[in-house]
Amino acid sequence: MEELANREVAGSGGADAAIETRGLVAGYGRREAVRGLDLTVPPGSVYGFLGPNGAGKTTTIKTLLGFRKPDGGSAKVLGYDVVGESLEVRARVGFASEVDSLYGGMTVRRLCRFCRDVGRTWDQALVDRYLGVFGLREDVKARKLSRGQRVQLQLCLALGSEPELLILDEPTSGLDPLARHAFLKVLVGDVAAEGRTVFFSTHILSDIEAVADTIGIIKDGRMLVSDDLDHLRETHKTFRMAYAEAPPEEEMRALRELPGVRSLEREGRGVRLRVRGDTEAVYRALEARPYEVRDVDGIGMSLEDIFIAYVEEAEGGR
Amino acid sequence: MGVWLDVDPRSGVPIYVQLVEGVRRALEVGTLRPGERLPTVRALAGELTVAPNTVVKAYNELQREGLIESRAGVGTVVVGEAGETMRRRKVEDLYGRVGVLVRDAAGLGITEEDLRERFDRELGRTFKTVGNRGEA
Repeated sequence: MEELANREVAGSGGADAAIETRGLVAGYGRREAVRGLDLTVPPGSVYGFLGPNGAGKTTTIKTLLGFRKPDGGSAKVLGYDVVGESLEVRARVGFASEVDSLYGGMTVRRLCRFCRDVGRTWDQALVDRYLGVFGLREDVKARKLSRGQRVQLQLCLALGSEPELLILDEPTSGLDPLARHAFLKVLVGDVAAEGRTVFFSTHILSDIEAVADTIGIIKDGRMLVSDDLDHLRETHKTFRMAYAEAPPEEEMRALRELPGVRSLEREGRGVRLRVRGDTEAVYRALEARPYEVRDVDGIGMSLEDIFIAYVEEAEGGR
Repeated sequence: MGVWLDVDPRSGVPIYVQLVEGVRRALEVGTLRPGERLPTVRALAGELTVAPNTVVKAYNELQREGLIESRAGVGTVVVGEAGETMRRRKVEDLYGRVGVLVRDAAGLGITEEDLRERFDRELGRTFKTVGNRGEA
């Protein structure tokens, strides 16, 4: 048991969180892209940072990496302040994004040498292994690579410096299914399995639903929910109730009042409810309704359903 | 290794629960036997492309249930009594189903007498053909 529970978590400088922001504000001109973001990424986790386009994901990441200064609040990466200790952050964090800054005229081999020369540590054997995994040739110039290959190359280069934390901005959007699978496999089977933290922004939910253990959903620059993904699966369910006769309005009102019921709608003679919280307790409450209930069926919600529920709620609440 | 485990990330069932159920099933059908090793966290995470923390959570749950244990230098193995533990579990499940059956029968208006008669008939049928196994 001890052996399993105490899986070694790399570095994190003794910090409780690999990333921690409090009330983070960052904007472009007069527009605020990030408006008071509280983000906590547990060390050793694979964290999926989700949000609709324009939610503030990229701005958050740029701030974490020190590419831009926060306009308010605080942000710490591996325990280091992103403004005051940005060099410490950069030495320990690997980064890859859809939009890269690779020197297009350099070959893969020269880019490796360049990274080795500017970094504190470098493991070329490791980089070679990952170049092999992705089938990237050393004599090819970066500009000749496809968008997806450039992301793979960035990942290889990022891993060369053995970072404690890997920050990836929409890394898989340019990858075909096979390359995406290989990429995700490296992230969980190698990087995360060694106890390194992976922070991964995406709007492609299918990428994250298997790979992430924790997710955060951001919208309009604020965190809507941040939780263990399996815990979210346990606490979200759709229930279908079949009644002998269509229930009257007062029964509908009573159902709406039950703790945990977020929304409901009629479905023929039955009712469909979306539930959040103690789904077992809701199930028992539904079965015990005084009206003649023929059947109660609970179905787990996919990450997509959960995502939509939170985003719609945020839109309705404005 | 790992081919006998599979997860469906879209199903809405927590992935660690799917892994726990997958291992239980493997024990039930004998794909996995006492003394045999489970894949390492790393191997299984890579194979199924799931977060290693999720695999750890599943293995911890299986360990709590007394089905597996981690041995220094060997890895995670199925314990000798896993079969017996599984059987106890299934017996408990079965008694739970008896309770549901009786309640459902009452709900349908079946009398105690009718239900008992049915039960006796089934018992007679099974235990006559199987012999005195129930007594052993």
